[in-house]
Amino acid sequence: MTQPIVSVQDLKVHFPIRSGILERVTDHVRAVDGVSFDLMPGKTVAIVGESGSGKSTTGYAVMGMQDPTEGRVLIDGKDRAAMSGPERMETMRRLQIVFQDPASALNPRMSAGDSIAEPLQIHRIGTARDRRAKVAALLDLVGLPQSSAGRLPREFSGGQKQRIVIARALALDPQAVICDEAVSALDVSIQSQILNLLLELQSRLGLAYIFISHDLSVVRHIADDILVMQAGKVVEKGRTDDIFHAPRHRYTRQLLAAVPRL
Amino acid sequence: MNPVLSCTDLRIEIDGRPVVDGTSLSIAAGETLALVGESGCGKSMTALGLIRLLPDAARLTGGRIDLQGDRLDQLSERQMNRLRGNRLAMIFQEPVASLDPLMPVGRQIAEALGRDTDMTRAAVDAKVQEFLIRVGIDRPEVRARQYPFQLSGGMCQRVMIAMAMIRQPILLIADEPTTALDVTIQKQILQLMAALRRETGSAVLLITHDMGVVSESADRVAVMYAGRIVETGSVAQVFAGPRHPYTAMLLRTIPRLDGPRKVALPAIAGAVPDIRDWPQGCRFHPRCPLATDRCRSEAPPLTDVTPDHRTACWHHDRIASDLP
Repeated sequence: MTQPIVSVQDLKVHFPIRSGILERVTDHVRAVDGVSFDLMPGKTVAIVGESGSGKSTTGYAVMGMQDPTEGRVLIDGKDRAAMSGPERMETMRRLQIVFQDPASALNPRMSAGDSIAEPLQIHRIGTARDRRAKVAALLDLVGLPQSSAGRLPREFSGGQKQRIVIARALALDPQAVICDEAVSALDVSIQSQILNLLLELQSRLGLAYIFISHDLSVVRHIADDILVMQAGKVVEKGRTDDIFHAPRHRYTRQLLAAVPRL
Repeated sequence: MNPVLSCTDLRIEIDGRPVVDGTSLSIAAGETLALVGESGCGKSMTALGLIRLLPDAARLTGGRIDLQGDRLDQLSERQMNRLRGNRLAMIFQEPVASLDPLMPVGRQIAEALGRDTDMTRAAVDAKVQEFLIRVGIDRPEVRARQYPFQLSGGMCQRVMIAMAMIRQPILLIADEPTTALDVTIQKQILQLMAALRRETGSAVLLITHDMGVVSESADRVAVMYAGRIVETGSVAQVFAGPRHPYTAMLLRTIPRLDGPRKVALPAIAGAVPDIRDWPQGCRFHPRCPLATDRCRSEAPPLTDVTPDHRTACWHHDRIASDLP
């Protein structure tokens, strides 16, 4: 049996609420409260829910940007909490993240090429020349002309900026990319271009995605499996077809009923 | 029937560049017109121009605006102000930012009643609470005393709607009223707006980028692209048989709840053009598979397809047959 790239086991992330002059911890916000799922190679797991449901916090915990309060995140079968520094660095190569707003994800003073090459530099991969070749290949992969490398973010449209961000995420040849509302801020006509790119990259590179989104039509289009989250808990989990054809939880049904139909 | 609001050939410029380039529209009482388009197409500028609330950099440079006997393009600032507080109401995308953070929401709703009301304080309070209940806010006596930060985004938008409703406006302009809200809250807010329209007979101008919202809550739609209306008509007609390639492709490119999964969506190539270099001729031509030389040189005017369906495309007969 294939091993999951990411295995999340009973993940909890609680934030303390402090009050009074002594700032004593009086309670906790249970942002993520017992979430479990596996991400298999080449597959897409979507996490859907409304604001405050804990979907992004779950993503951050998988990325290692947020320490779990309880539970485990296994990367290729290894508990992240038990990893050494170099091992963690190595898992960071295998797992990348793309955020909602490409404008704020790029350094406005850094050329597209430098942005894309930065992860390679940080991980000390290749010579300057290798890196230039890699940047050119990545620009190709995400459908941008190679001449884009020398240009600054402000010279690109929103959709093109998101392509640059995706190219940068792919620089280290990751096995999985976390897409946190990665198409939500894009115009409708651009959203479908980026969705098509994500699907194409998945089939060409065998990428797996954790696709975090509030948009059920988009999620239905791209995901193999879905977790529906509400107030930190997974209220329903299953194959995309099953969730959309026969939602079992009341909240899932409410969400589906609220989607405006074309 | 006479429209509540109509504008003809509206032109707005920023730094000498047109951002709205000859827009005409009209809305009848009790009707919702959706103005839909992508970012930078000029839909919000159109709305702000209609009520003369343009940002400082933007200027109304042409066009005529009629609101039931008043020429809005000619009124003084003072007359406009009276009108805005009275027959016009607006709600925006960020309800929390639209409210005064330092004033209890009940008092803000009471203010919307106007200074010249001769109601007693108790009567005003009762009326405010009545409207809070009507927009679905429980415990109105408690909520009325709370400040915007103590309410959720959805609740603040309900307060905005209560403020709009209490005035019985003849025209409500709603600019992306549900974009910042969760889907379940969005549905409730759209239902409330429909109720408001039924009760007051207001005309509603709904500005949105969301085709789903248009199809569920508008009677008519005007699709904007790069500063111009490219297609307009009843929602039923436009959605069932779009006659502009942009509308047609936009409708196809959106993932649907009943469409195929995990396959490439029919995408529109290219990007929305920057305002600094809008193309000559039809502004959609660089992205349009039907474009010919004529499209590249000559801008198509809005022409009738049927009595209530207009499109600005030289090739509108070919949409159904030739669009790939």
